Amino acid sequence: MKIKQVLLIAAIVALIGFPLVIDNPYYIHLVETILIYAVLLFGLDIVVGYTGQVSLGHAGLFGIGSYVAGVLFMKLGMPIWVTIPAAITITALFGGLLALPALKVIGPYLAMVTLAFGTIIQILINEMSFLTEGPVGIKIPKPSIFGTVATEDQYYWIVCVLMLLSLLVVHRIMKSHLGRAFEALRDSPVACDCMGVSVYRYKVYAFVISAGFAGLAGCMYAYSEQYISPNTYVIELSILFLLAVIMGGRKSRIGAILGSFIIVMLPKLLDDIVLFRMVAVVLAVLFIILSLVSLSKKLTTVRKVSIPLAGIVGLAAFSFWLENITDWRLTIFGFMILLVVYYLQDGIVGFVRNYYAALTGKSAQAARDAQALLQIKPSGKDVIHAASDTTKGGTLLSVKSVLMQFGGLKALNNVDLTIERGTIHGLIGPNGSGKSTMMNVLTGIYVPTAGDVVYSSNSVVGKTSSEIALSGIARTFQNVQLFGEMTALENILVGLHHTFHSSLLDVSLHLPKYTNEESAARARAMGLLQFVGLESLANEEARNLPYGKQRVLEIARALALDPNLLLLDEPAAGLTAPDIKDLLVIIQKIREHGITIILIEHHMDVVMAACDKVSVLDFGQKIAEGKPAEVQADEKVIEAYLGGQSA
Amino acid sequence: MLAINNLEAGYGKVKVLHGISIQVPKGQVVTLIGSNGAGKTTTMRAVTGMIKPTAGEIKLGTTSIEGFDSYQIARLGLAHSPEGRRVFSTMTVTDNLILGAYPRLTRSRPKGDIKGDLDRALELFPRLKERRDQLAGTLSGGEQQMLAMARAIMLNPEIILLDEPSMGLAPILVDEVFRIIARLKSEGITMLLVEQFAAAALNVADYGYVLENGRITAHGPADKLKNDPAVKAAYLGGSH
Repeated sequence: MKIKQVLLIAAIVALIGFPLVIDNPYYIHLVETILIYAVLLFGLDIVVGYTGQVSLGHAGLFGIGSYVAGVLFMKLGMPIWVTIPAAITITALFGGLLALPALKVIGPYLAMVTLAFGTIIQILINEMSFLTEGPVGIKIPKPSIFGTVATEDQYYWIVCVLMLLSLLVVHRIMKSHLGRAFEALRDSPVACDCMGVSVYRYKVYAFVISAGFAGLAGCMYAYSEQYISPNTYVIELSILFLLAVIMGGRKSRIGAILGSFIIVMLPKLLDDIVLFRMVAVVLAVLFIILSLVSLSKKLTTVRKVSIPLAGIVGLAAFSFWLENITDWRLTIFGFMILLVVYYLQDGIVGFVRNYYAALTGKSAQAARDAQALLQIKPSGKDVIHAASDTTKGGTLLSVKSVLMQFGGLKALNNVDLTIERGTIHGLIGPNGSGKSTMMNVLTGIYVPTAGDVVYSSNSVVGKTSSEIALSGIARTFQNVQLFGEMTALENILVGLHHTFHSSLLDVSLHLPKYTNEESAARARAMGLLQFVGLESLANEEARNLPYGKQRVLEIARALALDPNLLLLDEPAAGLTAPDIKDLLVIIQKIREHGITIILIEHHMDVVMAACDKVSVLDFGQKIAEGKPAEVQADEKVIEAYLGGQSA
Repeated sequence: MLAINNLEAGYGKVKVLHGISIQVPKGQVVTLIGSNGAGKTTTMRAVTGMIKPTAGEIKLGTTSIEGFDSYQIARLGLAHSPEGRRVFSTMTVTDNLILGAYPRLTRSRPKGDIKGDLDRALELFPRLKERRDQLAGTLSGGEQQMLAMARAIMLNPEIILLDEPSMGLAPILVDEVFRIIARLKSEGITMLLVEQFAAAALNVADYGYVLENGRITAHGPADKLKNDPAVKAAYLGGSH
């Protein structure tokens, strides 16, 4: 058995056995609170860590969970197995409501809107006395199980089990296609939509799932405290939750538990001067050891380490100078948080991971991933699926007098294009002539001001990018739009999102439907990486790949969509001559599968070698069209585009 | 002007450059060619202070600059026209250019005639002159590339680092970019040029280095390198 599993089992045993060893109800209640907050933080991390949104409304969602339990018990005497699902469902609905602004606004604006949401919920709870008893609050006993009221210990175990279940479910969701969709929409919403993963839908999903966990946590909290009142669910609590995620470490379950531990325990440790002195000294000693190790291994410089060192040693010294802590408690709490957030920007878990990687020269994650990778056998079958549209010849796509106007600028001015099935159609023209605008019109990023785009006899105008992508149009981007924080393999897996049909339940329970889909997708993703020659870099984060490799990775990701039509936007930009030869081979192989290609390119040798037909744009108008050689000899094209270099 | 000696650099524990040495004498154009992932961009980043080298020496004139921050290096007269252009997209063309002269405005470099240099930069790039009041983000790719080069010139630099100036440009503009490089060269500006169009780069350069897997595998006068069969086979294929 691996060390990790042993540790995990030991931790679970320690957690479950805790009330048997310690019988002080105060401590049991503290740990219980940590576990409950951890459940909420698992959910909050989905929104903050994975989708990269900010939510200051989670205290409100937490409150909704609590009050669903409280009201159902008070008014209807409902038992816990009713209140828990009810709290999860109702809070999840409110989560969907909270997601709506997230679709419109980002960054600080979203923070403001969610903050308002949280405040409104708190005010509503306060004002709706007929339902919530208003400021008086609701008393609720520990839940009854099999006819008897649970003791403090028994309730603790219920919370333990629910927390562990939440941990498992969140972990599984985040490792599945859903988690990948969340991360993809954070790293590049545009590419996410163009891979057929609707940003709109998955943002709502993320908020709904996140809110479900907040509801569960709120419900458990009501039974744990046995009394709920509106002034618990204040904005400060939301901020504290957000801090916990940031301090613990994003995208990490251990981070959430750690964060929860800190926000519950740190204020308690600061209650007592003796405890505080101990904590301050331990921290200072730990930090000194860490600094010395780092300095001896040359991982950092004296200059970098001196300020935090001075801060933390100063804090320890200060603790002995202090006689009374009560006046200083909040200041010190704030100071410690400031240190953590400022110096450990990846959170504590992120810091430990990076530090371990720097110390040993390899990251634990990478080693594990490499192990996992060995188990993926690249799909032996043809990884590029032949175009599903098997009609031979004829028009696949026709652009009919499309006008795209931005203010006074006509980026595309009555352009007609006809793309024949199975051909490679070149699109060239000076920078700013409207080529990329055309790509964006074809993929639904822009809606043309006038004109029509007909693809396989359906108009795509007005359809969303993800609908168009799923109907079989895949693309790459001129400014590479990979999912930077995800590995090369995961990038392809996002492209394969359309092959997943598993529900949340399939994912949570790892039912065969999901596990089969996942392993098939992984095998195919490896096959696609192999096709473009990136299999050895499968576990490298996309943002760390050299530029040229990022470009071919985008092609592989686009192929994962099983397209009928592939739009390549300057695939050879930034490639050297030998790379370009490889690229031509790739393009040729794609074409052999019956996939139609539109190729935007400035390297004339690529255009000449690959294309059957070329259209030339200048100032948003088509100035020439024909066989490559004809276009190359065209006076207008030479003047506008090729210059003297037409050879 | 710029001397790189046994430079080693990388990301985290991944080493990209395994001890490379490059000399750029004053008034010359030196080009660095190599395939994707060879370490060209990493070299640029190390020289401009965006990443810290793990070993080796980088001298600008007589000052060792390894470990300096990017802004300090810029103040010493090293201008950078980065890969992918990186213009300030919500500012006008003129403001972009004036920002290029920022160290001069704050007197951390000799001030000189900023107004005159602005006019000169706009003369050099007539397209930019036409669009001097337009927001940089609304320029086409080629114009943005010109702006990045013009902005570098505004530093009144000792040396310019040009990272992939022709990337994503129409053939007609590629010619123009190289004409501008040649013109800057004739004005005595020292340049280190990283380019995918190896042939065009070697045409304009005095001296060239070939970078493979983080090591210099060949170097020599540009016209000699151009006729080297190995270099020809690996980098000069294709029409450019």
